[in-house]
Amino acid sequence: MTRLIIRRVLWTVPVILLVILMTFLLMRQIEGNPFRHSERAIPESIQRNLEAKYGLDDPWYVQYVRYVRDVATFDLGPSLVLRNRDVNDIVREHFPPSLELGALAMLFALVFGIPLGLLAALRANKWPDYSAMVVANVGFAVPSFLVATLLIYFFAVRWGDIFDVPTSGWDTWQSKILPTIALGLGPMAYFARLTRGSVLETLQQDYIRTARAKGLRRRRVVVVHTLRNSLIPVVTAAGPILGFLITGSFVIEQIFAIPGIGRYYVTAVTARDYSVVMGLTVLLAMIVIIANMVVDILYGILDPRTREAR
Amino acid sequence: MSSTPQEHGVGLAPLRQRKERRYPTPPDGVQTDAGAPIRASSLWRDAWYRYIRNRAAVIAGVAFLVLVAYCLIWPIVSPYDPYAVDFSQASDGPSLAHPFGTDQFGRDLFTRTALGGRVSIGIGFAATFVILTIGVTYGAIAGFLGGFVDNGLMRVLDALYGLPYLPFAIIVLAIFGGGNFWTMVVALSIASWFTTARIVRGQIITLKENDYVRAAHAVGARWLRVLGRHLLPNTLGVLVIAVFLELPGVILGEAFLSFIGLGISPPDASWGSMAQDGYRAYRTAPHIIIVPSVAIAYLILCANFIADGLRDALDPRTRET
Repeated sequence: MTRLIIRRVLWTVPVILLVILMTFLLMRQIEGNPFRHSERAIPESIQRNLEAKYGLDDPWYVQYVRYVRDVATFDLGPSLVLRNRDVNDIVREHFPPSLELGALAMLFALVFGIPLGLLAALRANKWPDYSAMVVANVGFAVPSFLVATLLIYFFAVRWGDIFDVPTSGWDTWQSKILPTIALGLGPMAYFARLTRGSVLETLQQDYIRTARAKGLRRRRVVVVHTLRNSLIPVVTAAGPILGFLITGSFVIEQIFAIPGIGRYYVTAVTARDYSVVMGLTVLLAMIVIIANMVVDILYGILDPRTREAR
Repeated sequence: MSSTPQEHGVGLAPLRQRKERRYPTPPDGVQTDAGAPIRASSLWRDAWYRYIRNRAAVIAGVAFLVLVAYCLIWPIVSPYDPYAVDFSQASDGPSLAHPFGTDQFGRDLFTRTALGGRVSIGIGFAATFVILTIGVTYGAIAGFLGGFVDNGLMRVLDALYGLPYLPFAIIVLAIFGGGNFWTMVVALSIASWFTTARIVRGQIITLKENDYVRAAHAVGARWLRVLGRHLLPNTLGVLVIAVFLELPGVILGEAFLSFIGLGISPPDASWGSMAQDGYRAYRTAPHIIIVPSVAIAYLILCANFIADGLRDALDPRTRET
């Protein structure tokens, strides 16, 4: 087990290097840089000086190695557009709201998705199952911007007098309700479908029949024997879902005017702020890669059968 | 085959009875008719029988075809010019003349939704095709060569699994300087092929152990022939399923990008750009954002049920989510 963990942890290093390289090479294809495509006319010599200052005139592999070295020391470099600001500052300022939003949405999805799926599976092919699955299928298919817009429309415009929920910003707890639901609905539906399928499969296992046969109470069979063994696919899905939450937050942060990383990302790309885009992409990728790593290790702990296979 | 039609809870009862009479289903893989041609029990025919038995999948398939036909045909026969601005009837709700209402420029939404569907579905299929091409190449190389090549390639995939494609899509759009049909296709496929590669590799590895592949090797077939003749054609089933598994993600990706203003931009219509238009006016005319969003949801629902049906039909042994 320890060997598996060490190997899995070590393996993330080349992958992160690869992702940085991918992003790095992609970024270099973008025409122009913030100094050359400026509204203000900057003299040629100053442009060259600025490029030299930020190391943009070095060959790409030199820049790459320097960048990787900086990332390794948690220094994502200076912003190219906002003078006197580091990417680290931007991350520190814009990352917490995004992280909080993602975590809340994930919590929402788990807290409502798993019971919904469990309920559907235990009442398979009866009306609770049908209604749960209609909710899950529709929730999965409806784009989050519609969910967000409808939530705002009903709770702030239509019934605004009754509820009085703020629809922008990220400061009071009231302002966090609608974005959490809008972002979490898709993953909730996904978890519900996943749990349902997995529970149905587990219910057919021999050990469930044994547990019932030896007279355990239904509650215990469901919670201890069924649910615990059914959650493995849910754990596996957590990595990709995290990616989904980050991706989804681009739109949600825009709609609810949340000063998060997704909203800032779009601004940075349009402004050609290389170092910010690089830094944020690498950060997002690292989060997903590390989440995958944690999931893989958890998987090994939860399901001993997978240990030898890997 | 755990997915019985009733499970999904949608559908029309009379339709099912007629279907069952029209398509008597032979047991899997067994041809009961005496004197029937041997080809009658091919994989695809069996799959067709299995698919047709899944009511939700059949309805989803028909609904999907109806949507595609509407997108292709309606802009041609529609009495309205989808680009003509007419402020005298701006932001009207649904009516007889305009079944989906009009947007804030007075353009008929029923026509524009069809037009946007062409773009959205077109981008969806084109990007899915690119994703499958890259995925098949990568997966086939890994699965076919095996050994340390496979190990390396797959570990990379393991780690990239679940990487959000949107940041990379946004960078690609910045490289091309904006979103149009083909730049969107590239943007949406560049970081989305990991799952397909994984599936294809798994399939190739399973197939490699089959006797007919060993036999082909034994009689001296060169590797290219084994790969092109015996391995790749047998992954076709998984790929057909993969088309409908990838489609929802790509369609949503287009919608997200256009919604935040980086994809298809007005006056060109795509479901994402129409939703963006609608978002600007949601307080007074919510139907403008609801129409394209429901179109997206409708398409994704269809694709999900079609994928489920295809999986049961083509690949009954491996049911994983």
